[in-house]
Amino acid sequence: MAKNRVHKLLSRFVDVRPEETSTSVLMFFYFFLITSSAWVIKPVKISLFLDKLSFKELPYAYFLTALLIGFVVTLNTRLIHVMKRHVYISLSLTFFISNLFIFWMLFKLQWQWLPMIYWLWAEIFTITSVTQFWILINDIYTPRQAKRLIGFLVSGGLLGGVAGSLLASFLVKIVKTENLLLIAPLMLGICLVIVNLAPRLFKKEKKEEAEVSEKKKKPRIKYTESFRLVRKNRHLLFLSGIMIAAIVVTTTIDFQFNSVVENHFSKFDNPKDSMTSFLATFFAILLVFSYLLHVFCTSRILRNFGIRAALLIAPFFLLIGSAAIFIVATPALISWAVLMKGTDKSLAHSLNQSVRELLYIPISPEIKYKAKVFIDMFVNKLAKGLAAILLILFVSFSHFSIENIEKIRFISILAVVFIFIWILLNLQITREYVNIVKRNLKIKWQDADKLIGEKIDIDMTKLVFDTLESKKRSSVLYAMNLFDLVKKEKMSPELKKIISYKSNEIRASSLDSLLELDGEVLIPEMEDSLEEESLDAQVKEIMALDVYQELMNEQIGKILRKKDTEEVVSRMEAAKIMGRMAPTLSLIHNLGKLLRDESPEVVSYAVESAGKLKRRELVPYIIQHLSNPSIKQVANKALTGYGIKIIGTLKDYLSDPEEDIKMRKAIPDILAQIGSQRTADILALELKKENKDVEIDTIDAMCKLRKKDPQIRFPEKIVLTEAKLKIKECYLIMMEIYSLISDKNKEFLAKDLENNLARSLKQVFDLMSLIYSQEDIVTAYQNICDGTKKSIDYSIELLDNIIKREIMEVLLPLIDDIPLEDKVKKGKKLLKSLEKVEFA
Amino acid sequence: MEINAREKADVIIFDIDGEIRRSDITDITLHQLVKDQLEGGKKNILLNFENVEFIDSFGVGEILASYISTNNLGGKLKIAKISKKLYLVFQVTMLTKVLEIFDEEEMALDSFFKE
Repeated sequence: MAKNRVHKLLSRFVDVRPEETSTSVLMFFYFFLITSSAWVIKPVKISLFLDKLSFKELPYAYFLTALLIGFVVTLNTRLIHVMKRHVYISLSLTFFISNLFIFWMLFKLQWQWLPMIYWLWAEIFTITSVTQFWILINDIYTPRQAKRLIGFLVSGGLLGGVAGSLLASFLVKIVKTENLLLIAPLMLGICLVIVNLAPRLFKKEKKEEAEVSEKKKKPRIKYTESFRLVRKNRHLLFLSGIMIAAIVVTTTIDFQFNSVVENHFSKFDNPKDSMTSFLATFFAILLVFSYLLHVFCTSRILRNFGIRAALLIAPFFLLIGSAAIFIVATPALISWAVLMKGTDKSLAHSLNQSVRELLYIPISPEIKYKAKVFIDMFVNKLAKGLAAILLILFVSFSHFSIENIEKIRFISILAVVFIFIWILLNLQITREYVNIVKRNLKIKWQDADKLIGEKIDIDMTKLVFDTLESKKRSSVLYAMNLFDLVKKEKMSPELKKIISYKSNEIRASSLDSLLELDGEVLIPEMEDSLEEESLDAQVKEIMALDVYQELMNEQIGKILRKKDTEEVVSRMEAAKIMGRMAPTLSLIHNLGKLLRDESPEVVSYAVESAGKLKRRELVPYIIQHLSNPSIKQVANKALTGYGIKIIGTLKDYLSDPEEDIKMRKAIPDILAQIGSQRTADILALELKKENKDVEIDTIDAMCKLRKKDPQIRFPEKIVLTEAKLKIKECYLIMMEIYSLISDKNKEFLAKDLENNLARSLKQVFDLMSLIYSQEDIVTAYQNICDGTKKSIDYSIELLDNIIKREIMEVLLPLIDDIPLEDKVKKGKKLLKSLEKVEFA
Repeated sequence: MEINAREKADVIIFDIDGEIRRSDITDITLHQLVKDQLEGGKKNILLNFENVEFIDSFGVGEILASYISTNNLGGKLKIAKISKKLYLVFQVTMLTKVLEIFDEEEMALDSFFKE
């Protein structure tokens, strides 16, 4: 009950599922407490350092941190693998709690270099505890879950930071800087309880892949292996590059900020506590601003502009800020430093953090796990080390000191260089991101047309059947078909065997007597004769003779004059031979008659011949047979053979509502097979008419056409308008299904509607494939149909990156893995606004 | 190519020897010989291909022209003993439906008498 109430409350703000509630709340508080501690520890770290040492020592602190973290990371990686996750984190927390008490005692001794040691410790604490949190998140959630919940979890961290900073800012006035260290152990103690409570929940909710990885008990990650992994993976390389560039920029800004702060507070009576108070207040304001930015802008920016724009926002603002220092007066440097540090940190804590975590999503859990430890800890510190060395060089060569603070401006040149590198890498990684999502999705099934086309030669098969069929009926027809068969392709031994099989009823046929030698079938001889190229040439020459034409036209005329139904075979022979003869007027006239013959067998041969002669006068006769199931395929092939010269005629028939519907439905496929930009335009115009009779066939044909020639372009406006209608149709069907679902008597009706929904959704994707990459859309659709959480997640991720945001917004509830009730709710909202949404 | 004519029971039989091809055209063609016989009042013609080794499209044209001429005058032209290959060509071109072809000369002659 309590769980339900928490879910109800939480679901008002967060897209959280009931089964995710407990874990998400716990992880929210865990992150809250970790960051609270970190933000109490942080101002203490800076003010103690600047009080006992100087900003000139800061680059050394950065460098030593980078160096030390390398060892810590190694230790962290080893311990992660030898211990259970929650045991390891518990021990880490206990270690940090005890350290805080020790530091508190040591600070009473006033050692000059102790703030340097504390600095290093504080860095280790922050990096280790935050990384451990993100590893937990990656273990618990799938990419799609993480994408939904990441905003909520990051909010926990930001709120924790605000709480910690405010607490430090308030208490420093009462208890002094060093005593603030005693607040953190209390918070870390609660984290210890959560970590030990959480495994029970994780076990329940852990996703398939995490379980698999647990079962496999991954071998320990070696740095060389992690490094090789990152080096081989372009996406991870870009991610590392971005991290290096961003950290050099951030470290530079941090150095500038601390230098200016030390300079500013050096004139105060109690610089240490004043600095702690200032820093804690600054951090609190910074985090509130970051939080607001995160809550109100992060999701909107990601939703409205996508990852690419989100990645560019931080470097863009920092570039302007870094350039602005050259026009800021020296007394105003503290304001500049606050603004610059504020911009950098607020974006880092909100937008950058969310985007960076999103960039890990398409990486497989196995690789992500290994790479994340390496990038977040090793690469991070490498960048920090690089920045430190650059700053040490700057401080040494520029004779920079607290007295000539104006020299701080030149450090911005370093920042500007690295901001440009950052921008370039951001552009590269967005391209790579989509590629990785695509690689995670596999085509689930081949297109039936393509598969049949690859495996079976339909024309050849038909010819074999015609040959076998004619063998029983007419030696002439048999010879003619056999001749075509051999001409088409060298016959395989199996085919020869099939063709030469002799049943009793055909033993007497004249051709067999020719092909038989001593009672044996003379297949080799038949084959040799038929396969001779000279025979083909001879046949052609004979048929081109005037005497042949004269004689055969007369013969055909005689056959056609006979009304005897027993003359069907003769008419079949005549229909067949006409396809090889010169198309004289009388032949065309006679073929026209055969195209209207009452026997489908005769018509079939006549249509084939008409397709070979390609005479425009015959097209109306052939088109009529598109509505005849037994002739449809032959007619389709014959008309396709005419090519672009009959496109206009086909268009007229297609758009004429008076014509037979079966015939009209067959035309889009022929247009697709003819395949040209003009046929694409005709199909698009037909689609625009929103004529339900031929709509499915038109969309199918358009897809076929695009598959055949990816260069074909369809008018976006027409296609997307139709897509919008289809999406609307999907929602209406979905609502109807929802209304029937509780009524057991209407189960069958609901089933029918489900089929209709699936069909309409398929059409939505078909339409999308006309505008966007067909392969990507088909892959996404098939993986959505596959129905596993992982395949749906990756498909949505892919679609999110390739199709327009307006379309994705209305399409998402239809395909997302959410309960029907939620889909209907979202659908109702969307239907109201759908009319106003302009896709194209 | 050599063509010899003989008569048997009112049927003129042309025994053709050698190859019938365009490159070997002589002054008198098969068609001309048939026409001569038709003009002489002989209307039953039998072409015996027993000793024909090869026949090209020109040769087939000669046969067809002879057939048409005979037919136009109300006569009959039949063929006997053609090679398997030529028979196949006639099948593929549907000429077996027009021309009467016999395996043996006797069978061909009988068919004239039966009519």
